[in-house]
Amino acid sequence: MYATADMLLMTPEAHAIEEPQEIAVEVVLVRAVLDGNRDCFARLYDLYAPLVHGILLARVPRAEVDDLVQDIFLHAYKKLHTLRDSAAFGPWIAMIARNRAVDFHRRSRETVEINDDLRGSEAHDSRAAEILELIRSLPEAYRETLVLRLVEGMTGPEIAARTGLTPASVRVNLHRGMKQLREKLGFMEGL
Amino acid sequence: MKDDYLWDKTGQPDLEIQELEEILGKLRYQPRPLDLPVSRQRSYFPLLAIAASVLLALLAAGVWLRVRNQSAPQPQQAEVIPAPSPVEEKKPEQITSKVVPQEVVAVNHRHRHRPVPAALSKQEREEALLAKQQLMMALRLTTEKLSLVHRKTQNTTPANQIKNQHRVG
Repeated sequence: MYATADMLLMTPEAHAIEEPQEIAVEVVLVRAVLDGNRDCFARLYDLYAPLVHGILLARVPRAEVDDLVQDIFLHAYKKLHTLRDSAAFGPWIAMIARNRAVDFHRRSRETVEINDDLRGSEAHDSRAAEILELIRSLPEAYRETLVLRLVEGMTGPEIAARTGLTPASVRVNLHRGMKQLREKLGFMEGL
Repeated sequence: MKDDYLWDKTGQPDLEIQELEEILGKLRYQPRPLDLPVSRQRSYFPLLAIAASVLLALLAAGVWLRVRNQSAPQPQQAEVIPAPSPVEEKKPEQITSKVVPQEVVAVNHRHRHRPVPAALSKQEREEALLAKQQLMMALRLTTEKLSLVHRKTQNTTPANQIKNQHRVG
């Protein structure tokens, strides 16, 4: 996921550079946002919203996911100046999303048990909701990778680049997770 | 290879994975616009307004003081009146009524309406001198004490306490 800085900024000065250095897209965008360019944050949002959505979908009820995605990006916008390495925007926002999911469950436990309304909203869904439930029952490392691959349509290398995991870890998680999911699906179909 | 399809969607497609992609794709992220807060820069207007108000108040006070001083009478001037020498003090019999007591008096023209004290008698003058010496001694003592306290509060030892004893003694 690389692009040149001049491609992103599209300024005449940038085009004047004959041999542009390859800089990760998020680095350019994060720097631009910190310099006051709000539109660049919208581009970061477009790039990383599927990642955050997938991470949340693997952990919290579907009805809550969209609002949480917005909250997480607003939080990231306010706290962007605390990000030390601009290239680590993906792992950083992925960590915010995981923490927010943990907070959600903690708060739900404090107030109401995850109520049946939330579960019910998924229950009426078709087979997609059933398979998602099966994926959610897998170990955490597998379920996140599988959701990003099967729901969000990201490839293994993309998942690795955006989450900061090594490609080898993502590959292992995908294969082991898929194996366990197949077993569960076979068990379900046998019922 | 089937593994490649799971990894990067290349190679021979795995039908089961394709079916899962198709079913679960319904849950995929649907783009929504992000509503960012209007401005993330802090407004310094209140601070600037306070600073400007304080500055204006100071300017007004300065102008007022200047005008007040200009409208007041001219500053006082110290008048030096020759004082009697110590020798003369020791010989009071030589003092005639025409001799003006040798004193340095700061005359405040603003307070001219005050009655000028009459010439002091010898005893009164001696008492006054004694009182003056006592007052000066008290002032010196106070000054020394204050400077000592000041040094103590600043955690510095006095430069030479013994050397300064003569001042207070």
